[in-house]
Amino acid sequence: MDLFANLATGFATALTPANLGFCFIGALIGTLVGVLPGIAPITTIAILLPFTFSLPPASSLIMLAGIFYGAQYGGSTTAILVNVPGESSAIVTCLDGHQMAKQGRAGPALAIAAIASFVAGTIATLVIATASVPMSALALQFNAAEYFSLMVLGLIGSVVLAHGAPDKAVAMVLVGLLLGLVGIDVNTGAPRMTYDIAELSDGIGFVPIAIGLFGIAELAVTLGKPQDRGLLSFRLRDLWPSRAEIRSCIPAMLRGTAVGSVLGVLPGGGAALSSFAAYAVEKKSSRAPERFGRGAIEGVAAPEAANNAGAQTSFIPLLTLGIPGNAIMALMVGAMMIQGIQPGPQVMTAQPQLFWGVVASMWLGNLMLIVLNLPLIGLWVALLRVPYRLMFPAIVLFCCIGTYSIGNTVFDVWVMLLFGVLGVFFYKVGAEPAPFILGFVLGPLMEENFRRAMYLSRGDPLVFIERPISALLLALAVGLLIILILPAVRAKREEVFRE
Amino acid sequence: MRARVDVPDLAFAAFLIALGALAFALASELSVGTAASMGPGYVPRGLALLVMAYGLVLGARAMVAGWRAFPEIAFRPLLLICASVALFAVLLPIAGLALTSFIIVVCAGFAAYDVRVRENLVVATALAAFAVVLFVSALGLPIPIWPR
Repeated sequence: MDLFANLATGFATALTPANLGFCFIGALIGTLVGVLPGIAPITTIAILLPFTFSLPPASSLIMLAGIFYGAQYGGSTTAILVNVPGESSAIVTCLDGHQMAKQGRAGPALAIAAIASFVAGTIATLVIATASVPMSALALQFNAAEYFSLMVLGLIGSVVLAHGAPDKAVAMVLVGLLLGLVGIDVNTGAPRMTYDIAELSDGIGFVPIAIGLFGIAELAVTLGKPQDRGLLSFRLRDLWPSRAEIRSCIPAMLRGTAVGSVLGVLPGGGAALSSFAAYAVEKKSSRAPERFGRGAIEGVAAPEAANNAGAQTSFIPLLTLGIPGNAIMALMVGAMMIQGIQPGPQVMTAQPQLFWGVVASMWLGNLMLIVLNLPLIGLWVALLRVPYRLMFPAIVLFCCIGTYSIGNTVFDVWVMLLFGVLGVFFYKVGAEPAPFILGFVLGPLMEENFRRAMYLSRGDPLVFIERPISALLLALAVGLLIILILPAVRAKREEVFRE
Repeated sequence: MRARVDVPDLAFAAFLIALGALAFALASELSVGTAASMGPGYVPRGLALLVMAYGLVLGARAMVAGWRAFPEIAFRPLLLICASVALFAVLLPIAGLALTSFIIVVCAGFAAYDVRVRENLVVATALAAFAVVLFVSALGLPIPIWPR
């Protein structure tokens, strides 16, 4: 079967010593930032982007992907032991995980979180491998009109699933689209909105924006809040869950994986959303829902499976359609562009080693992560005892050096500073930066496809609803918008996000 | 009686209007073209107008939404973090990586309310050495280490 031939190609790439090394580095860094609250995988990927320039494309993507799913493993450790999510997707793990730790069952909670993540990671890798081929075959038939409609759907999806107020998320998408257009117009060569600043002719740098919004702003906000690190102690030999606990968790893991795999693919989806939804599903389907919030082990297994599955399947739209579904995938677009790869359906056929290498590396990375997380758990716990005041100056320094090194110019550092301040403003007024980043990345692509479609139709906007796939995608987008406006759904949505 | 203004929402709306206006002004020299053959200014102007219009709607709604104060900003971390970044941009070309790293880490350290001076100096020295070894020696970035 093709699947096995493809995976064989992938493993041949992923198993080279260099790529295994980068996969390990990615998983290690991912676990580290996952464990540490106050530094998110998105910040880490943004900071590391400039340094991937000198790596081969496959190694670069393998390492960056490892950071994202590695953080899903690490995040649960802090959630369980400290009751602070090391990472946003581990918020729900706090609920039951920390209760278990208080009852002296921290070991089984940690173990089941790692096992659930591994099971989900394995299944999600297979999901990516099977779903990608038909997806990219479909995408190869897309025309400018379909691409435009698909991006509209993606952006609206990201608004619907954004954590904050949806009306502000719409505004952030528009602002992102607008700022994405700064720079030289590809069709005419005219500089646009650059204010005659030479450094802006290639557009506002993506990396300075991302590091400013997610690194600098995040630090300034985190430092303003009181730091709480009440670490619970536990003994390593109590790590293993009982057989009954494992048995009761298997259906929870599988349900969590299914929820995560589906939500990961959706625009705006990804790890955090998946874990919320999986927890809700688990609580609904349980015969004893009152146990949840009081140390139910299923309440750890399901969201931990879901966030890892969601983290991995969110690569599907990026790798097959070339369209990022969430802010981290937008950064991966940046990583591919740095390597001179235009993301899209042609990646799979033109560079099969790269594509399948990244997919295969995900499973290898998961294998490494379970080793990194279970026997080495003591090491991560020790790290949690390091106070934040010793760590954050290093992050400031790395943000600066990372931004500077993209073009060896301090101009980018000033841009990062500006977006750091803007990021704090956005946080204070309750506007999410994630839809902004998506809009920023998609802005130039959308404009190009919009202009091309309108050119081909001789200025007739009906082209977007005359082509069936395009019409279907736009109908879905309108449907999502209507759902968003309906009061009943709004109340429900707020309830889900409050939990 | 207090004003019925939602201050954070109003501030965000003002930001949108200002940004839209700025973008519109900057894009005003660009030719718009026609729908069939769009000039470089077509989409930027359209988006700028959309951002402004959206800002106006949000702003109007915020005026009658009921009082909500702007959330408090922790100025000490914000200002010191920003100062560190600005120092980096100013100092790096003059002072080289080693000194710049030391200075900005010391500056950033004071952003934490529980800073300890001696500890901060040790961290700064260690990080400066680490940055030079990692980024210049190991990764080979073309950054000067010492002042020129």
